[in-house]
Amino acid sequence: MPVSKTIVISCAGMGTRLGIGSTKALLDIDGKPLIIRQLELLKEFDDIRIVVGYQMEKVMEVAGAYRPDLLFVLNHNYRNTGTGGSFSLGIRHARELVVSLDGDLLVHPDDLARVLGSDRECVCGSVLGTEDPMRMKTLTQDGQVYGVGFSRQEGEYEWTGLAQVRRDRLTPGDRHVCDMMAPLLPLPMELIRTREIDTMADYERAVAWVKGGYRETV
Amino acid sequence: MSEYTFLFDLDATVTKAEILPEIAARINKAQEMRELTERTMAGELPFAQSFYRRVGVLKGIPVSEVKKLVGQVPLHEELAAFIRENRERCYLVTGNLDIWIEELVDRLGLAGRVYCSQASVEDDRIARIEHILDKSKVMEEFAGRPLVAVGDGSNDAAMIAAAEIGIGFGGVRPVAPPLLRCATHAVYSEEKLCQFLRQLL
Repeated sequence: MPVSKTIVISCAGMGTRLGIGSTKALLDIDGKPLIIRQLELLKEFDDIRIVVGYQMEKVMEVAGAYRPDLLFVLNHNYRNTGTGGSFSLGIRHARELVVSLDGDLLVHPDDLARVLGSDRECVCGSVLGTEDPMRMKTLTQDGQVYGVGFSRQEGEYEWTGLAQVRRDRLTPGDRHVCDMMAPLLPLPMELIRTREIDTMADYERAVAWVKGGYRETV
Repeated sequence: MSEYTFLFDLDATVTKAEILPEIAARINKAQEMRELTERTMAGELPFAQSFYRRVGVLKGIPVSEVKKLVGQVPLHEELAAFIRENRERCYLVTGNLDIWIEELVDRLGLAGRVYCSQASVEDDRIARIEHILDKSKVMEEFAGRPLVAVGDGSNDAAMIAAAEIGIGFGGVRPVAPPLLRCATHAVYSEEKLCQFLRQLL
C-alpha cells in the first residue's frame, strides 16, 4: 500500500571532497550504486523524486533502469546551490508530507523504515561520526528528544539530512536543508544509524558497513 | 486549482510512436524517414529543412490515406485521458501538418486547440507547405501565462524553456540532450508523467 508522501533524494552535487570525479549517487557500494541501495529501501513509495545536476544523464540512466517510475528534477544550478536548493526544487507541487534524503547518505534499513512508516514530522540525528559535522542541539521532554537547533560547536547528535515535514511549512532556499528546517524547530528527533560519504575514509567505512549486514562494529 | 495551461508535443509524446516513420513504413521508406527523424531530434538538422524533406518522402501518398493512418497511431492512453479530461487547459503544439493530424486531434478532443504546420491540398495531394510551425513563436502568444510544457525532441526546447514547468518525457526514446539542458523535470514512464501532471492541476 503506497504511503502518501513525496520522497526527495538530492543527488545533484559533484562530490568534490571525495575526489573520484563522479557524483556520489553512482558510487559502487558493495556491487551496487548508492542510488540503487537507497531505492531498494523505498519500494513501497510511489512518489519518489530524484534531484539531479552533475552527471544528470548518467544518474537518470542508472536509476531509471532500476525503476522507471521516477520523477527526475533537474537542478541546473547545482554548482552554486546546496542540498537546500535541490530539496526546494524537489518539493514543488509535492504531496503534503515531504521527506528529504541526501544522495550521499546510507541509512540502516530498519531505521529508514521506522521513520518513513510514520507520518509524524521529525528531523533525524545520528551519533557523531564524521569530521566537522553539523550538530543538532537537543532537549528531552517526557522521554522524547527534540531537535532545537543546528550548530558546528554544540550538540550531542549529528544532523543527517533526513527529515520528514509538512511541505506547506517550508520556505524554499538555496543553501542547506538544515537552513530550511531551522525555523520549524523544535521537532521530534529520530535517532538513526547512518554512514555519510564525504571522504574516501567515509566511503570505505560505508562499504564495510553494508558488507557486514549493517552491523555496528563499535 | 493552479493556473497552469498545459502544452503538449504530439509525436512520440502523446503518440506512442513517431508518426511520420510509421507512415513511411507503409511505402517502404521507413529507413530514409527514420534517419531524417533521428537527425532532427538530435538537433543535427534544422527542423524546417528536415520537415520539407520528410514531407517530400510522403508526398506521393494521398492526403486522405495519410490522415487515416495517422488517426490510427497508438496513443499514450493515460496521457490522452488526462488531455480529454482537462481539454479546456490543454493545447497541442506540433510541427506536424494540419491536414494529416485532423483525425488524431479529434480523438484527443482538441479541435481548435492546436498549433501546427499547415499545407494546402489539391486532388488529395499536398500542393504546398504554407507554414512551418516555429514553437518559439507560439510561446510568444502564451507570454505571461503560467505554463506546463511536455516534449521529447530538440525542436521542443523553446517551448520547454519558456514554461515554468518544462518536462522532458522519454516515453518512446531518450529525451534529447538539448531539451534536458532547459527542462525542469524529466520522466520516463507515462504513469509517472500523468501522476505529476495531476499534481500540477
